[in-house]
Amino acid sequence: MRERFRSGVLFRPICLLAGGLLLSACTGPLSALQPEGPAARGTGTLWWIMLFAGTAIFLAVAAVLMLAFVRPAWLRRFGETRLILWGGLVVPLVILSGLVTAALALGERVLVVGQGEALRIEAMARQWTWRFRYPGGYETDDLLHLPVGRDVDIVLTSADVIHSFWVPRLGGKLDAIPGHVNVIRLRADRPGTYGGVCAEYCGIGHAPMRFSVEAHEEDAFAQAVGLAAASDTAVGGEGAR
Amino acid sequence: MRPRSLLLLGAGFTVWAMAFVALYAMLSVGCRFGWDDTALDMAGGLSLQRLQLIAIFLVHLAAGAAVVMLLRRRRGEGFLYPLAYFAAIAALGASVFSFAGVFFLSACQ
Repeated sequence: MRERFRSGVLFRPICLLAGGLLLSACTGPLSALQPEGPAARGTGTLWWIMLFAGTAIFLAVAAVLMLAFVRPAWLRRFGETRLILWGGLVVPLVILSGLVTAALALGERVLVVGQGEALRIEAMARQWTWRFRYPGGYETDDLLHLPVGRDVDIVLTSADVIHSFWVPRLGGKLDAIPGHVNVIRLRADRPGTYGGVCAEYCGIGHAPMRFSVEAHEEDAFAQAVGLAAASDTAVGGEGAR
Repeated sequence: MRPRSLLLLGAGFTVWAMAFVALYAMLSVGCRFGWDDTALDMAGGLSLQRLQLIAIFLVHLAAGAAVVMLLRRRRGEGFLYPLAYFAAIAALGASVFSFAGVFFLSACQ
């Protein structure tokens, strides 16, 4: 008895601690739940839709299961065939159709790079570092400068194996493949520092293959990537010094 | 005949899986070769990319329908044949559900 009482006393703090630890992962420089751009916001929205739908499905199944124990007569009255037809076919189809529609609509919005003008920054991945090259020829390693409030196309490729470019707070991930060019469009809404990772296992140095993204106001960006002096480039604008 | 009827259980979804692999592979191949930018006038301005994906989809749909028709004739025999028949119908429905996107989704970036 005493043992059970003791474990009961411990149960609540352990739950709180585990829950707190789990929830603490929802924030930070790599949290897709704190989106700072339109692409990441789309992914976040889809995630919340999936979470709520998944929770609702779980609760509904749990309710039917409880009913089978507590009021088996109700289920019996509903009928076996009808239960299989509705529970196994109609309800899942309706839910899946809704989720698929949401996923496809958001995917079209998030993944498809539009025709509009965008700044192009080349990203070259190699074991185990990222090199970013800006329009003026300026290069940075493991640090990506971005202008705020503007579409930027990251032109991805790799020098050796397949890597994957992922800045969770700004957008989805896209592979950097040797001999092939992929383009991902990002936009940062606010200045700040965001985390980026390699999201495709690429060898022993994969886990520490991280980079930082610094989003600046337009003129600070131009200065950071050495564009400030070049008056003939589109970047810089009136802020060029 | 037993082992064959056991194999028939998966016949419908084998066609589904083949369609999945074919569409996935040819989607990437088409994007790489720029078929998305090749508009075909004789197909009402559809891109070569969309046209080939639709063709792959329709071929597999026909194959899935053929499996259903074949199994339909023997759906009264024993336990496994009717099961294979309904599995083939489910696979046909799954094909439409999963792959109808070839008609309206963006094929390349």
